[in-house]
Amino acid sequence: MNTKTSLREVERRTYISYHQDGLIDIFVGVYVLLFGFGILLMTVTDFSTWFVIPAIFPAIMVPIWISAKKRITMPRIGYVKFGSRGANKLMAVFLGLMVAGLGVFMVFSFSSSQAWALALRNLIISNGMFIIGISAAAISSLFAYTMGLKRLYAYGLLALVLFLAGHFVTVPFAYSLLTIGLTIIINGSVLLIGFIRKYPLSQGDETNVEKSL
Amino acid sequence: MTQLYVVESADFLFLQHQLQMTPGNLSSHLSKLEKAGYVEIVKEFIERKPHTALKLTKKGSSAFKEYQRNLKQVFNDLPK
Repeated sequence: MNTKTSLREVERRTYISYHQDGLIDIFVGVYVLLFGFGILLMTVTDFSTWFVIPAIFPAIMVPIWISAKKRITMPRIGYVKFGSRGANKLMAVFLGLMVAGLGVFMVFSFSSSQAWALALRNLIISNGMFIIGISAAAISSLFAYTMGLKRLYAYGLLALVLFLAGHFVTVPFAYSLLTIGLTIIINGSVLLIGFIRKYPLSQGDETNVEKSL
Repeated sequence: MTQLYVVESADFLFLQHQLQMTPGNLSSHLSKLEKAGYVEIVKEFIERKPHTALKLTKKGSSAFKEYQRNLKQVFNDLPK
């Protein structure tokens, strides 16, 4: 018996049970959907401030997500505080993504002065959908692995298929984003309904016993 | 104990769902663990509402590690 693996499995199951409510899916889905709408708006109405959406959205949505967790999840399955190990892993993923994003930004910044950066920039632009598809699948898989949420692999696969299809049969980028966002929201909503049905609000018996502790 | 070992703290309701125990049964287990000094019961307020969090003490954590070692030893000593 490998005790370390078993403990990790208990930790993984605990973490998954806390995210079985589908709230994270709904918020990620809304983010992708808004991003898609922003791009669609830009192409249709020449509204070019769409890029503000991904920047301000997390600042607005994270407090709403925390509040939803407190109002929907906590009263049903209780409250758990995870150790710093999981948070550190997630932070490492976020930092890695920020470094990668900074790398792409540098390539675009240097493209006017450096030949290699210009070549790389042209390669990124000409294979945009292809690169975005692979990046989306990789990022989604990275989060799936770190968080232990297998459904994120499916979202990554969906993004890969849609963006690759977009690359070869020229589907507009915004439509692919809207499809992905909508699919994630629908799946999140199904999970949320299932969660609310599975865990109705407690009637107070537990609270009385809890008070006696 | 295993459940509390893998998290920083958890409340009564969370443990009850994870362990699929009745409130009375879980309460009785927790009282014994608290008496033994393995579990600490922290009364706190979350958004002005009273909340009872449970966490493993250092003594409880050491006892769990010891239990793990002993259990592993038992399995290792079994004839193959």
